[in-house]
Amino acid sequence: MTCLKKALIATLILVVVSPIFGVFLADLVGYHEPLDVAAEALGLEDLTETMNWTPLLDYMVPGLPAEVGYMLSGFIGVAIILAIGLAASRALRAMRRVEDKKPSG
Amino acid sequence: MHIPDGFLDPATAALTYLLMLGYGGYALYKAKQMLSAELVSLVTVLAAAIFAAQMLNWPLPGGTSLHLVGGALAAILLGPWLGFIALFLVLFIQCVVFHDGGITTLGANVLNMAIVACLTGYLTYKSALKLIKRWDAARLLGSFIGGWLSITIAGLACGLEIGYSPAFPYGVAVTVPIMAGWHAALGVIEGIITALTILYVARKSPDLIASEAGVGVA
Repeated sequence: MTCLKKALIATLILVVVSPIFGVFLADLVGYHEPLDVAAEALGLEDLTETMNWTPLLDYMVPGLPAEVGYMLSGFIGVAIILAIGLAASRALRAMRRVEDKKPSG
Repeated sequence: MHIPDGFLDPATAALTYLLMLGYGGYALYKAKQMLSAELVSLVTVLAAAIFAAQMLNWPLPGGTSLHLVGGALAAILLGPWLGFIALFLVLFIQCVVFHDGGITTLGANVLNMAIVACLTGYLTYKSALKLIKRWDAARLLGSFIGGWLSITIAGLACGLEIGYSPAFPYGVAVTVPIMAGWHAALGVIEGIITALTILYVARKSPDLIASEAGVGVA
């Protein structure tokens, strides 16, 4: 198995187990980054919900339980990144073919 | 470490966007010179893996939590330019699709995690390869310290950005110790994950570690 395939499988496993860390444990002990501590000390206001544009806010899918939505969000994110990579790879191949066809000199 | 909308004043947001666009343009120019279809696959899969790894929030005793950033890992594996592209891809999708990290603060988040963390990790690893003669020790220390330092310095940069605001003249004095201090502690875990991953890749496919090219480590 190639290194890339192994990495891809590891990625999918990470997404499958991600709700344990991103939903279950976060609910259990509370998710609080150092950035939140610093922002609280200054009284900064988080405008994420006020100016939100996405239905997938907080890696949730409307209508689905948090655990399922979190995992599905993970798959959506991974799929979009892979699609962008595939498109870039095809564009690069097409560009190289055009360059190769150009008469040299 | 993802700064949400509302935490930065317009001047800091604009300045960090300019830095992101300038550095990003140069990174794309450098990447274009070396890019192959295989490298595109490598960048894409690493970006997907880092995206997934960032979804694993590790809650810690004491009420705080962290997740992997992956800047040092990406830069050690791919070099600073392709590492930037991998991290930018992750941060852009997180921002646009999931609103994790604000759109007004995307420049700052890219600056911290795709530029500062990547460059810190890469330069530390390269320095370790030069300074330490034994390859295995150089890889271990370079990737561990690179991962740890990348988070500490990125946390410091983040503290400077949110602390620098006309409304809070002494904000930096509050935010920098919190951000740098916490991330210096939490960064140990980033260092361990970075080191374990690099040691694994070095054993299986050492040719994949771009930052070792031309150093004589195999």
